[in-house]
Formats: sequence, C-alpha cells, structure tokens
Amino acid sequence: MVYKNLNLQFNTMKKNITIALFILLAATTWIACKKNTPIDEDGLLITSRRECYVSSFEMLGPDFVSVRVGTALIDTMAQTVKVTLQFGTDLKNLYPQFTLAQDCKLTPKIAGRTDFSDTLNPKKWTVISGDRQIQKTYTVNVSVQPR
Amino acid sequence: MAALFIITSCKKENYALPVASDKLQDQAIKRTLGPNIVGQNIEFAYAMAILPTKGKLVSCVAEASIAGAAGTYMENRSFYTASTGADVGVTVGSPSVTSKTTTTVTYTKDTSAATLRYYYVIPEEARGKTVTIKFTATSDDGETKSTTMGPYTIAKMDMKLNMKVTDGNLMYISIADTAVYNAADAATHAANIDLVYLYRNLTTSAFNHALVAPAANAQYLPGVTLPAGVNRTAKLLKTFNMQDHNLAPNLQYSALFIDDLDFQKLDLSGQPNFAINLKQEAGVWVETADGKYRAYIFFNTVATGTATVSIKRYAL
Repeated sequence: MVYKNLNLQFNTMKKNITIALFILLAATTWIACKKNTPIDEDGLLITSRRECYVSSFEMLGPDFVSVRVGTALIDTMAQTVKVTLQFGTDLKNLYPQFTLAQDCKLTPKIAGRTDFSDTLNPKKWTVISGDRQIQKTYTVNVSVQPR
Repeated sequence: MAALFIITSCKKENYALPVASDKLQDQAIKRTLGPNIVGQNIEFAYAMAILPTKGKLVSCVAEASIAGAAGTYMENRSFYTASTGADVGVTVGSPSVTSKTTTTVTYTKDTSAATLRYYYVIPEEARGKTVTIKFTATSDDGETKSTTMGPYTIAKMDMKLNMKVTDGNLMYISIADTAVYNAADAATHAANIDLVYLYRNLTTSAFNHALVAPAANAQYLPGVTLPAGVNRTAKLLKTFNMQDHNLAPNLQYSALFIDDLDFQKLDLSGQPNFAINLKQEAGVWVETADGKYRAYIFFNTVATGTATVSIKRYAL
C-alpha cells in the first residue's frame, strides 16, 4: 500500500515537472519569436521619425582640413546646398560631410574622396527619413572663391 | 592521496639566492628608433661583466657587416644615471679605434662591468641593404663573449633637414638635387626644378605659403616669372598632422616615422600640381613628373615670405 502511494506521488511530481518545462519552453519560444524594433538593410534602426533634411554641410580637403569659405547655404525647400570653397581647392579630391535630421540616412554613401570638378553636373545625394518612407534629393553646388 | 596533496601544497619552499654566473656575460640593446637612414646614427648599448674575483675586462669590439661611415665610434666611457636623471660617464678605456669594419675600445682601468655605447654611422654603400653588428667582449682570463644584433634594413630614402626657402629668392626646389635655388641657379638646373615656393598675403583669398609646380596654371603663380626652361609639372598632396620625427625631432608630438614603405604605397594619381595655403607643420607629398622620385616636404617653421622645410626623398 505504502509502495503504491509512493509511486502515485512520483507520477504526479513527474507530471508537474513536465508541465513546468513545457511552460518554460513556450515562454522562451515566444520571447525568441517576438519581433524586435525593425532595422534596415544597413543595420540602422527604423524609427517613426518623418523629418528629412540636411541640417549642416562641411567640405574637407585632402588634408582633412575644411576648405569651406563661410557657411554652406542649405535650402530645404529647393533641396540644394551651395558652398563656396577656398581659392586653390582641388575639386577632384574633396570629402563632403552632411549632418542630417535625426535618424535620417544618406544615399549613396560617401566612401572616400569625391570629385566635384564637373560643375555643370553637380553631385546629388538623397536623404531618407527615419521611418524610411520619405526621400529628398539634394543637389550640392560648389564654387571656388576667386583669387 | 588527498592528505599527500595538501602536505605537498603547504610545503614551504626555501628561497635560495641565485648564483651569479662565473662566466663572462654580455647583453646588447639598440637605442635608436625609426628607419635607418644613410648618414644617420644607429646607437647601441653593449653591457659586459665578469666576476671581479675571476678577472677584469680587456677589450670590447664592435664589428659591422658593412664598414660604418666616418664618425662611427664607441664610447670609452661607461654611463650611469645620476639622481638628477642625467647620464654620467666614467672613462674606462682608451678612445675607440676604428679600422674598416671593426671598432675597438681597450680597457685602461680595472673594470669588471661596463656598458659602452656604439654609434654606427650608416654609410652610403649600405643603402637598401641589411647590416648586422657583432659585439665581442674579452676578459683577461681568456674568455670571450659575443652578441650579434640585427640584421637591420637600411632605408633607400634619404633626407635633408632645414632648408630655407624665401619668396623672391631661394624659391625653386629640386627634388632630384634636394636643393633650393634662386632664379639664376634655377635656370642652370632647369630640368631638375620641380616646385616653386611662394608666399602671397591676399585679402581676397587664403593663399599664404604655397608649393606649386612650374607647369601649373598661371593663377597659382601670381607675379612669378619663371626662369628659362623651368617648366616641369609634379603631383602634390597636402597633408596635416604628419609630424615625422626625423624631419621634426624637436616637435612635441612628432612621434611617427615615414619609411620606405610609405613611399612605395603612395598613390598620387589624380592629384593636382599645386598646394596652396600651407601652414606650419603642414606637409606635402610629391611625385616628380618623370616618376623618378617621391618625397615628403614638411614645413618646420613659417614666417612672412619665408619658410624652413625638411624633406624625405625616395628614388623609385
């Protein structure tokens, strides 16, 4: 009789452990499958922000020192950047730097020195908003200060 | 087993004073850093010692695989550092004698331990080759001990420091000659003139100090009448924060060295033939029009209409 009771208790305990393990497994699976905050193809966070503009612009020479004269004029309506560069700036070897609204990104990416010498066909970059739904293409017009 | 382990673990080992070797001993270090450039020193410190009860030092010899240039010598003083931090030398031998590849100091004082410094002046024939230095100490009990240092690669590049350039006078720079000429001398070396130094203080733009190839657009050479035949171009790349320690040994932050490899990997394709608005401690990478030389010109100091530049040059 005692042996039978013990066996019954053991079976109940085994059942409880199995249920507990199952619940733990389900919870782990649920957490693992829960969709995180989305990221884009560059691994950047996609947010709900819809601002999409260039807030400031810098131009560096081959020695990584600024060659800008005065402040770059940014027209967010016309989507243009106008910048005057120092006399003697080699337009073929420049490093542009954009500052964008929060969570925005720029395309194409600036991978290295950039050639601005074809002033008839100014360079263009597209700003993409934080929610990745809005795109605005900015034209960068450069001119060189006279001697 | 456990008890045995515990006993073994807790057993106190008695410390024994290390026994000094009774043989003649030596040790060498290289004291100079950076690339080994022809005309510059490589400095070594060679320490040797023998137990006083066994004998004393007789001589110290440094043998280079390629004979050092004039000025190669070994100190006949052994240095120690005083409490002030200054090195104090104690004369232990006769002045060194250099014969071809070997430099010898013969001890004149009873000395059982000394550290002698050896200055190897890199000769022209070692350019692009490797050099080894073999140090040998001899004691009066007949023992000898040797240590070989190296091999050290000697750079192909060469260097010229503190060349003064002046707008309107010494303003024509030749990389091939590593020299600066005035207009009259530039005309006689026209084929070798690569750059023109000029200074303009303009109110409309920041021109200041500039290095411009003679063939550059005339707007970059305002008011300059080039001597006859001076018409070469070059490729130039401005740079900043490149304070080479060889070119600017006294600068606080000059902790980097430009070596042969930097010149070998330098790519100046697409670079212009002018560099305007240069400042003190700015540098310019240059490649000559004939592709024979690459160079780095560093502006040590600048003043109105003049500058002191130093140059490292690599023959391709």
